Amino acid sequence: MDARTIIESLTGKFPEIISETEIESEIRVRAHTDRAMAKEVCQYLKDSLQFGHLCSICGVDYPKRNEMEVVYHIASYDHPVVLTLKAVLSRDSPEIESVVPVYWNANWYERETYELYGIVFKNHPDLRPLLLPEEMLGEWPLRKDYEGFPNKTARNLV
Amino acid sequence: MGEIKSKKTSGTTGEDPIDAVPGVITTTSGAISNFLKKTKAQDLINWGRKNSLWFMTQPMGCCGVEMIAMGCAHYDTDRFGIIPRNSPRQADVMLISGYVTKKYLPALKRLWDQMPAPKWVLCLGDCSISGGPFYESYSTVQNIDEIFPIDVFVPGCPPRPEAMLQGFVELQEKIKAKKDLGTEY
Repeated sequence: MDARTIIESLTGKFPEIISETEIESEIRVRAHTDRAMAKEVCQYLKDSLQFGHLCSICGVDYPKRNEMEVVYHIASYDHPVVLTLKAVLSRDSPEIESVVPVYWNANWYERETYELYGIVFKNHPDLRPLLLPEEMLGEWPLRKDYEGFPNKTARNLV
Repeated sequence: MGEIKSKKTSGTTGEDPIDAVPGVITTTSGAISNFLKKTKAQDLINWGRKNSLWFMTQPMGCCGVEMIAMGCAHYDTDRFGIIPRNSPRQADVMLISGYVTKKYLPALKRLWDQMPAPKWVLCLGDCSISGGPFYESYSTVQNIDEIFPIDVFVPGCPPRPEAMLQGFVELQEKIKAKKDLGTEY
């Protein structure tokens, strides 16, 4: 299964939902998905296109566009293509359906994206901070407008 | 009721026990220790303390690996009386061996509180001194010297075990000169 068949299969199955597809090389493809159908797209990828391995989930903040993105990197054990799947969210209320029922290892990825960006994954089994302390919840340190960095570091050197 | 009780207790403790009964000196271990600090006996006590600086094996980052290497046979800190201990209750020295995250600081404070006095702190590595690679990070605690009374800073990323040993020797010199922050003179 090569990159072109994957993109054609995806757009054929979800013509309204998948957009901005691009074949970057033989092994890297990119697609945008509608945020309401991200879980269904992942289910289709896993069941029909042999994308059995979720590499990572991360967030991207675009304050000028007032948007946030969730980026899924999905790879396969059967073919060499890696898919970058993106879902655009509103920055005011970033919410997306959890993909834990499809890929079980998304659990911690989603918790980390939640604690760093404040993106809420609906129907996540246990959505609480992964690494940061509980009292830092709500600061969302990897958002571009975060201002909580310490500015009194190493005053003896300055 | 509570107010009356607190007044009574504060009144009894406020009186000097030496003045209370003429000719009889009642004392406490704190009073003995305060008296000894003014005499030459403190030099003897400090000599003993500086030659048995047991440190707590509590590695926090990559400096912790060097710290363990320092305590092992190759660098052999035992010849200075510096012995790694696994329990904070048996330790005299705490080594802050790496970045202190906001999540870890309560645990570190708790370990520090469990150590019996007199106790000293050494700061190992650039992370604990000034932030290092985690300079202005959202998740680390900066300026650790505001939280713990740090006697010696050992720079390096990570410092060599010899440098840490040098830090311990500097701490011994400070204790010998009664300039350390671990004891209240």
